[in-house]
Amino acid sequence: MMALPADPDPITASEDYAQFRSTIPQRKVVVDRSSMTWVLYDAGPRHIKSPLVCLPPVCGSADVFFKQLMHLSAKGYRVISVEYPVYWSVDEFCEGFLKLIDHLELTKIHILGASLGAFVAQKMAEKTEKSPRVASIFICNGFIDTTAFKQTGSAKAFWLMPAFMLKRQILVNLPSEKLEMDVANSIDFMVERLDILSKDQLASRLTMNCAANYVEPQRLKDVYITIMDVFDESALSTRCKEEMYKCYPDAKRAHLKTGGNFPYLSRSDEVNTHLEIHLLPFQGTRYCVKDPELVDPEEIKAARGEIELPTT
Amino acid sequence: MSARRKVLLKVIILGDSGVGKTSLMNQYVNKKFTSQYKATIGADFLTKEVMVDDRLVTMQIWDTAGQERFQSLGVAFYRGADCCVLVYDVTNANTFKTLDSWRDEFLIQASPRDPENFPFVVIGNKIDLENRQVPARRAQNWCESKNNIPYYETSAKEAVNVDQAFQKIARDALAKENDDIYKPQVASVPDIRLDSNTKQKSGKCC
Repeated sequence: MMALPADPDPITASEDYAQFRSTIPQRKVVVDRSSMTWVLYDAGPRHIKSPLVCLPPVCGSADVFFKQLMHLSAKGYRVISVEYPVYWSVDEFCEGFLKLIDHLELTKIHILGASLGAFVAQKMAEKTEKSPRVASIFICNGFIDTTAFKQTGSAKAFWLMPAFMLKRQILVNLPSEKLEMDVANSIDFMVERLDILSKDQLASRLTMNCAANYVEPQRLKDVYITIMDVFDESALSTRCKEEMYKCYPDAKRAHLKTGGNFPYLSRSDEVNTHLEIHLLPFQGTRYCVKDPELVDPEEIKAARGEIELPTT
Repeated sequence: MSARRKVLLKVIILGDSGVGKTSLMNQYVNKKFTSQYKATIGADFLTKEVMVDDRLVTMQIWDTAGQERFQSLGVAFYRGADCCVLVYDVTNANTFKTLDSWRDEFLIQASPRDPENFPFVVIGNKIDLENRQVPARRAQNWCESKNNIPYYETSAKEAVNVDQAFQKIARDALAKENDDIYKPQVASVPDIRLDSNTKQKSGKCC
């Protein structure tokens, strides 16, 4: 066994990451009890009230989406990435998240949800079905039923497990064969984030991830959905992915050839392109994510089919 | 490599604005045609599952903006393309003349390892119209001069030859899929191995 290297992982040590930390300030927001602190990064034009909100997987912190924050905000999109406080159930989480959205004075949001983030995003859309707060969801390596992890039984005991056992729950799911460099780097980055999480943070997220629960997709029929997944190795089974496609037959399917568990880190340019395509239909509407000042007016005309075929 | 492995084929459609890139994609995937012209902004894609010689293949077909003004999305989606479809309008000679520059642009941006043998397909669209300007012979000659690119003439409107063209695209792309058509992302291969090995170990022991 080798000792952990003392140097930070290649992504944390990269110039891109340093630039991110030096340009986008970290904010802390308390919306209910004092112990419940949301950590967030808010980038791009503040007058946009329907931003893209990024929700990380179990092991992630808000900075796992730094490549989306940087790239999209530079193009005029408002992007907010959040880190969850300790909520022990999805219901509690949704209540808290709703308070956060109200606190930030957001109307309807677009969510990029990765894994657990995708699950709670769907639950959030389900719970706000009557007065919608979720305009669209970009699901990345998502699932609709927690039984996929076959852990519903042990979920009740996560709160009393020691930290190393909790971490093991996550690490066993990471691939063990040889990997492409970008994918390996993304895993390293996530594993370092895992080390920073407190035992309660980790236990509560695993509980939400694994306690028996499922999404009722018919209640999300007004939500615009893109499903992103990878065709190489990831923690999700093929069955789990197919179930997703079946539940959202009209969703756009943004498959990536490769990218592993964390494509927003390992394939950020492809993911960012897919995100822009996902948000395009909202351009020129009330729930736009990109500053309308920065949108070419011809694009809005073109989207409405008001542009004549150019004659050559 | 197991035969059961799922395959994703990425196909990029390029060509001048108004030649029918979106219509061809829509006709192939959705079996729909509309004569209402709507410029494509940035890029868009559709997926379709097809059987190619007993293999289930997911085709991801990228429709791109022909108008330069709307190409704000960049070209990140060129990466890893398995086939490039060049489309022109048989009733508009200018759209045929620009095929060279579309081909060059693709090869520069996608930078496949062996540009000469990268799978392209050329489609001459709108054969349902009467005022044809580009003779088939001329298009075929161009295709032959570019290392025998397969050539199809289609009508997206009347669904003529569209399925056949895309079947050829899928088959050619699949045939090349197992060759490494792209250079590795990092210059020296042994480096990657070394690196991912140590990565793996550090990952496992925490």
